[in-house]
Amino acid sequence: MKKAVTLVLAGRVQGVGFRPYLYRLAHSLGLVGEVWNEGGQVRLHVQGDTPAVEQFQRRLMQEAPPLAQPVLVSATAAPLSLATDFTIVTSQPSQTAPYLPPDLFCCDECLQEIADPGARRYRYPFTNCTQCGPRYTLIAGLPYDRSRTSMAQFPLCKACLAEYQNPLDRRFHAQPLACPACGPQLTWQYGSEKIIGESALTQAVAGLQQGLIVAVKGVGGYHLLCDARHAPAVETLRQRKQRPHKPLAVMLPQLGADGLQGVAAYVKLSEPYGRALLDPSRPIVLIPLKPDHGFAPGVAPGLDEVGIMLPYSPLHHLLLQEWGGPLVATSGNLSGEPVLLDAQAAEQRLAGVADAFLHHNRPILRPADDGVVRLIAGKVRRLRVGRGSAPLELTLPQPLLQPSLALGGQMKNCVALGWAARVVLSAHIGEMASPRSAQVLTQVCDDLQTIHGIQAQQVAHDAHPGYTTTRLAKGMGKPLIAVAHHHAHASALAGEHGIGGGDAKLLLFTWDGTGMGVGEYPATLWGGEAFYGGPGAWQRVASMRPFRLPGGEQGGREPWRIAASLCWTMQRPYPHAPEAAALLHKAWSKGMNSPWSSAVGRLFDGAAALLGLVQKSSFEGQGPFLLESLCEGQPGEVIPLPLTLDSQSIWRSDWSALVPVLQDGRRSVQARAALWHSSMAAALVAQVEQIQKHYPVSAVGLTGGVFQNRHLTQQVAMHLAQRGIALLLHEQVPMNDGGLAYGQLVELAARQQQHAQQ
Amino acid sequence: MEHSHILLAHGNGGRFMRELIREVFAQGLGDVGPDTQLDAAPVRLPFAGELLTTTDGFTVQPLEFPGGNIGSLAVHGTVNDLAVAGADPVSLTLNAFIEEGTEVALLRRLVAAMAAAAREAGVRIVAGDTKILRRGEGGGVYLATAGIGVRPAGVKLSMDLIQAGDAILVSGPVGDHGTAVMLAREAFGLRGDLRSDAASVWPLTRVLRAMPGVRFMRDPTRGGIATVAHELAQASGLQVRLWASQLPVREPVRAVCDIVGYDPYYLACEGRVVVVVAAAQAQAVLAQLSAAGAPEAAIVGVFETGPKQAIVETHLGGERLLLELEDDPLPRIC
Ligand SMILES: [Fe+3]
Ligand SMILES: [Mg+2]
Ligand SMILES: [Zn+2]
Ligand SMILES: [Zn+2]
Repeated sequence: MKKAVTLVLAGRVQGVGFRPYLYRLAHSLGLVGEVWNEGGQVRLHVQGDTPAVEQFQRRLMQEAPPLAQPVLVSATAAPLSLATDFTIVTSQPSQTAPYLPPDLFCCDECLQEIADPGARRYRYPFTNCTQCGPRYTLIAGLPYDRSRTSMAQFPLCKACLAEYQNPLDRRFHAQPLACPACGPQLTWQYGSEKIIGESALTQAVAGLQQGLIVAVKGVGGYHLLCDARHAPAVETLRQRKQRPHKPLAVMLPQLGADGLQGVAAYVKLSEPYGRALLDPSRPIVLIPLKPDHGFAPGVAPGLDEVGIMLPYSPLHHLLLQEWGGPLVATSGNLSGEPVLLDAQAAEQRLAGVADAFLHHNRPILRPADDGVVRLIAGKVRRLRVGRGSAPLELTLPQPLLQPSLALGGQMKNCVALGWAARVVLSAHIGEMASPRSAQVLTQVCDDLQTIHGIQAQQVAHDAHPGYTTTRLAKGMGKPLIAVAHHHAHASALAGEHGIGGGDAKLLLFTWDGTGMGVGEYPATLWGGEAFYGGPGAWQRVASMRPFRLPGGEQGGREPWRIAASLCWTMQRPYPHAPEAAALLHKAWSKGMNSPWSSAVGRLFDGAAALLGLVQKSSFEGQGPFLLESLCEGQPGEVIPLPLTLDSQSIWRSDWSALVPVLQDGRRSVQARAALWHSSMAAALVAQVEQIQKHYPVSAVGLTGGVFQNRHLTQQVAMHLAQRGIALLLHEQVPMNDGGLAYGQLVELAARQQQHAQQ
Repeated sequence: MEHSHILLAHGNGGRFMRELIREVFAQGLGDVGPDTQLDAAPVRLPFAGELLTTTDGFTVQPLEFPGGNIGSLAVHGTVNDLAVAGADPVSLTLNAFIEEGTEVALLRRLVAAMAAAAREAGVRIVAGDTKILRRGEGGGVYLATAGIGVRPAGVKLSMDLIQAGDAILVSGPVGDHGTAVMLAREAFGLRGDLRSDAASVWPLTRVLRAMPGVRFMRDPTRGGIATVAHELAQASGLQVRLWASQLPVREPVRAVCDIVGYDPYYLACEGRVVVVVAAAQAQAVLAQLSAAGAPEAAIVGVFETGPKQAIVETHLGGERLLLELEDDPLPRIC
């Protein structure tokens, strides 16, 4: 019996060697037919013996190349044809928007090749194949073809061309393929010393051994590398980068059969951590440190965990193998700006930071800083979309009526392009206060539209009028939709779980730093809000007792101001305050530049300052990180916070009972830190129980930067589980402001649908 | 005057009003004051040139602050608007709106400061009017001044002349006025080292306006130097780069702004001038500024080809966008 089928496959099926894989599979099963790309989809026609065709259909999905994420759109019976072979047909143009693949790791086969002294690509740092290597950062346009990548300037040598044209080779149509004869090269630049080619790498390792700070161009931008065990080098890096405390990521060599033997000595490695480290996106994974880790103390001062990553490109594998230990690998940028991309900008802007540079001449078209994940409540959750995960493909629970851009927020920002039910979320861009961030954001918006062939008809932005992104949105000349910061957070969480309708019965907690509130005059800064309902129809039902942020934006950088404000509200002095406190107290008491806020992130800052952990923070979240670190996973005493209904029918938890307890020196700092977390978790649960009395709640969700705090989130999760309440957390979409752009689109789509129904 | 405080009757056109005008305003202003016999005053131009006119209202609270008061401000503000346009200020008119119950002694102090400021700038206050506001309907005293100046033929100052590469100079530290007034208003009652910079910039601009390479001048009042930079970028279509390391800010101003959370670049100056100069002449203009009484003047920025935006290069080498001022800036940090 012969059988023929026509299959349509969508998802990530381009730029990942999917058609050659189908070709090989068909050949091995003795099937005939053809396969072709049509826009973003792969279509194929196969025929042969019925069992072989059925086996093909089954194995097609199960054995797809690791990077491919095929989605079966349809499988229909087809008439038998006269085909005698299986062929790959030239691509057809189509209206369907394509999928832009992310930048991925270096696969095992390529790794073996660069380790093989007999191979053409022995020790070649730009080796890749259809199963690995850069994509997002080098694609200028689609369809994905070498001429539309930053590899266009490297004509293929004869040997590479043969691989490129051979359907049975794993480099068949590997667009960025290269070899030492025809591909990019390294350059070592140390003062006036300049070395091009393979020995540049050896020089870089020698430089690191001397304690130098070396700026290394990777896949999505520059890193700053130095010896992670050498305290003076780490201190120098911190001093020069003006980054006194923020933890530094560490790259370790991939060793042993499981690839994790270079890591195990430093951190408490459990199975999910190992799996996260080895993910093809090779993210930075935050992992608890072993007590005798041997890193310089400056790597993660005061913290019990550190960001670890494995080498993600052949260049980094070669560097780390030769180095043989841990290297600090932090973003090569000025604080908060997008990571630097080209040699000239890097040498100019990092002149005061790096001693030497390891450049290469493969252009990076857009930044992709390292992705970051953390294990929270049993699952690996994304804190930053970056190299390997960008662009993040997401779906909307309700489709958009017009293609739309969303510009996100002000901190940790990403942008998103959405059309129909599809969203692509960009790589992390950075803090939006700098002109380079604004310029990169504009370029990424343009690129996403061009590459996908989608022109946005409207622009969603945060409701805060002072955000750079709001100003940029206004300059785009398209209809604008302002979305309240916390509505966007809530909608991001609902959307990730496929819930779009305003008639949903969700109760979502959006706890973060601060964001512009809506519906009040004068506006207060939200950040401790609970919303009931669904996207497009959020009802604010619970919050925190408001407090003043004396000095406005300065309060976000200087936790002592929050601590002082909390104390002053309780008519207590703030003992640790600098002399400046007298002046600040006057401003506070007159309400001068002291806006009201209900932000739990700021309360965590205040608590950290009350415990004396930090008075001025040098990076966002420093206080909360230190606070969490002190708890060592242990729950603490619960101080119940009174919950009362205010005049606008919002339930408010009153934090004031915690202030004297946090200042109580008879309790250990650890006990007070644990008590703070447990009391805040209990306050949240008390709000849930109160709201449940008034509304039917289908599920509770947690979103916003505060829930990056594992200790808090896990306690809430435990309490809710005990009560049999379903809990929604993020997995793919960052819970911090990196997820706002997606949430803005979910919210926008929901509003459009509700409007259309009326 | 027989009363120590202003009554509604001081605005009724009768004897009380005449006394107020004669004894407080005319006598207080003296030789720079109006000729009260005339309904309209003739203006004698010192030389033939282009006639310039401007008007400004003053509502500052408190009325008196370290370094000045609303009277001196009303004169300097209008004089400076003429001066930065390249004119010699010639004469002013004055409207005073006085709240019932205002102390006459305070009025006398304001008028004395006005007279001193007018003398400093070489102008006369040639005509005026007073109105009395009911108690509770005004902030003590509001003033409005209109000015006439004359600009010599050949003085060409315009944002249209600005080119990439041009330098930006400021005649002295920024933010003094805004900080001093803020502290005085909120009755912080400390920091005697903080004074408004309110002064006439005419002694500086009369020298600069004739110098080769000078393209444009502006006084960075409301919205401070950041707002001027923003306007210059929008008007020139160029990127304005300011260097934090070069921009003079007095230490007490910096300290107060840090605590209260204000950006000194957005705070008003009332005695400074921002000058745009061709790069080749920047040093010469700086030297002239210094010689003409602005020893703390500095070259603080440059125009660059690039997006039309204002940025400040920070001490650490980073860059920060200077966005247009909002009414009520709320923290953006999440
Ligand atoms: Fe947020
Ligand atoms: Mg004016
Ligand atoms: Zn490979
Ligand atoms: Zn080659």
